[in-house]
Amino acid sequence: MKISQRRIRGLVAIVASVAVISSSLIASAPAQAASKDLTIGLTLDIDKLDPQGATSFATVRALGLVYGSLVEVGPKLDIRSGLARYWGFNAEGTQLRLHLRKGVKFQDGSTFDAEDVKASLERILDPANKAAARSNILGIKSIEASGLKVVLNLTTPNVAILAALDGVNMSMLSSNDIKAGTIGKTVNGTGPFKYVSWEPGQSVKLARNETYWGAKPKLDTVTFRIIPTEASILSALNAGSIQFSVITSPLVAKQAGSNLKVYRTPGLAYVALQLNAKVAPFDKPGVRLAIQCAIDRSEVVRTASSGEGAVIGPITSPAYASNPNARPCPKVDLVQAKKYLAEAGYPNGLTIKTMVAPTQFATASGTAQSLKAQLAKAGITLEIAAVDDSTFISRWLGANFGSAVANNGGRIDPDTMYTRYFTSTGNLNKVAGYSSATLDANFAKGKSSGRVSDRKAAYVAISRELEDNAVWIWLFSPYEYRVASKNLTGFIPLATGSILELRKADLK
Amino acid sequence: MDIPGISRTLSVLTTLFGISIFVFLVLRVIPGDSITGAFGIETGALTPQQIAELRVYYGIDQPLVVQYFSWMQSFLSGKFGFAYSTGVSVATLTKSALPVTIELAIIGTIFGVILGIAIGMFSAKKPGSTRDFAGQLFGLLALAIPGFVLSTAIVTIMANKFHYFPNGYEYMTPWENPWMNFQQMMFPGLVLGIAVAAPVMRTTRSALLETVDKDFVRTAYGKGVPNNKVQFRHILRNSLIPIVTMTGIQFGYLLGGAVIVEKIFALPGMGRQILDAIMKREYATVQSSVMVFAIMFVLINVATDVIYRKIDPRIKK
Repeated sequence: MKISQRRIRGLVAIVASVAVISSSLIASAPAQAASKDLTIGLTLDIDKLDPQGATSFATVRALGLVYGSLVEVGPKLDIRSGLARYWGFNAEGTQLRLHLRKGVKFQDGSTFDAEDVKASLERILDPANKAAARSNILGIKSIEASGLKVVLNLTTPNVAILAALDGVNMSMLSSNDIKAGTIGKTVNGTGPFKYVSWEPGQSVKLARNETYWGAKPKLDTVTFRIIPTEASILSALNAGSIQFSVITSPLVAKQAGSNLKVYRTPGLAYVALQLNAKVAPFDKPGVRLAIQCAIDRSEVVRTASSGEGAVIGPITSPAYASNPNARPCPKVDLVQAKKYLAEAGYPNGLTIKTMVAPTQFATASGTAQSLKAQLAKAGITLEIAAVDDSTFISRWLGANFGSAVANNGGRIDPDTMYTRYFTSTGNLNKVAGYSSATLDANFAKGKSSGRVSDRKAAYVAISRELEDNAVWIWLFSPYEYRVASKNLTGFIPLATGSILELRKADLK
Repeated sequence: MDIPGISRTLSVLTTLFGISIFVFLVLRVIPGDSITGAFGIETGALTPQQIAELRVYYGIDQPLVVQYFSWMQSFLSGKFGFAYSTGVSVATLTKSALPVTIELAIIGTIFGVILGIAIGMFSAKKPGSTRDFAGQLFGLLALAIPGFVLSTAIVTIMANKFHYFPNGYEYMTPWENPWMNFQQMMFPGLVLGIAVAAPVMRTTRSALLETVDKDFVRTAYGKGVPNNKVQFRHILRNSLIPIVTMTGIQFGYLLGGAVIVEKIFALPGMGRQILDAIMKREYATVQSSVMVFAIMFVLINVATDVIYRKIDPRIKK
């Protein structure tokens, strides 16, 4: 084929034009934002401005930098002073006295005092406000406020309530704002950053709070940008368009470029195969135990989570963590699994169903598939029903499932982590599908003592009962990844998922 | 007696009414509601009294008929309902999201038409040849590769190899920063354009092959009209009707395709608005956004008819 010179010249011109345009595009990418302006990628937009009603991760993270709570959880999951400088329980554990910091100001310039604490806690306790953490502090009988002193009178001995005072849902609000009914409409916190603007679907902008009670934040502004997929967030990080994000997918986190640093933290959350013991065939302990014995948790971690995660027992709170080897069949035992099945009346195996929401967490589908493959070896056929998040939640809340692959949040205190699931009066007991008098007694015992050793004994007993009855099949605790550009310094990741420590971060 | 336009208008209105009913019912049939969408698993911590109050707040305590007409009234009044998670009307959200999607669809269509016609002409020039095979292979690949795969590949390669991902910055409208807007729209437009190019290319190829054997083409060649002139003025122009039809249909589909592309390229358009609203079970947002898409689809069909008449005056009668 003969190609004329004219054609060759045309081809060269086209290729050159494309090259010039491409290089100019790449070169013209906006220079990284001013050095003290941090941009954080979020997959979801915030959905409200009321911190006490916040339930989505996005809202919790953004408002967590704007509001403050009485106590805070430190990097070692220790409870530290927040707006309360120090505290103490009475000998019976029925009264908590809190002494507040002096000179703390809300972002509107008003002074924070005990009246604000009283008004904030009463707002949480008032059912009309639908506060997310109400159930955690129902043990408060009355609140006394005077100057910078607050006394919480409790209905029963309850030392676990101290840990429940941490977090965005326990944000301290201005009593004036509460009276004026402006919570959720205006934003006025005591946190390290103040709210500037929210453009729905696009971004939330914060600026340094010059009157913050702690060390003045080094960052001038923090912008949360909505980038709906984690893969795109990582691309934005690699390209330098944003400087920080929280990634949940181990596969995505592993692709972080050399210009990024990855903070890999074991989280408190856990992945479990929830079994509904009120629904056949899971009402038979033998079936639940057979599943327990047929599953190799390490295999689930390897296949579903790229080896990223820790095998756990029911309690993930570090001070009271369950020993994953203290369960029936700590290693796979197919003979024992089949024996349990035969005793339960299924000598030839059985078919069970599980629901999973693939978009609920990164390893959801992989976990379900791994369980299916492993259970098949014990003669258990697992049928997987993939549903969307809202459908999952709706069926989950109605206990309208036999089993479910779930990723539940953990807490630093086992009481707030599991009371709502496994006590007979817990608001999620219907979902848990299991309760007993001994569990009720042990949960009461666990929160009544201030001594860690006494509490530990109660939670070991709780853990053992849950595992011996294979109430759920606790699998693993996924890692959390905070990915940041290398010029971000001073940030300390917290296992609670909070990014509050950005108050100490700097962009060099 | 058929009054021109009346039956067409009636059929359009019936279609839109049917769509509104269908979307309204589908959203109510699928599990979950605005409360579970907003509170997630914390819905379990709500008391029955709180749930009853929230049902009133979200308007889902009303009978379905009342809910439908209440939303329809709001839609027709131009407010489109209320988006609870953002505290503004759906019309306000749509006002900022719709131009993004329209711009993306136009850019995608322009890319698609240019690529599709060019490759179609390239293929049709020598049917059965290697160049025809190459053209058809492009069509097949463009149809077979899903938009989300292509989008992810482009985003990953550009970001990892060239540290270039303009969509990671704040979205800019063409009026705020035209150059940045072009950069943010170029790759998503190209992804959508490739999807449009495949059917346009195939339609162009077959339309051209059909026209090339017509008497007037032979006459033009016989009169000594230059080849390029015959190709564009005689053959392509007389093949445009099926190409315009296909482009019109594809423009409609682009609105749907934009859902995924907007998500991957972080564009705050209608597709993302609908996806987020479905996750949150924000009924008014989903219903009104789908209606906006449906109305646009109808308008595109009308525009296609107008273009037909411009291309071929015989269709006027």
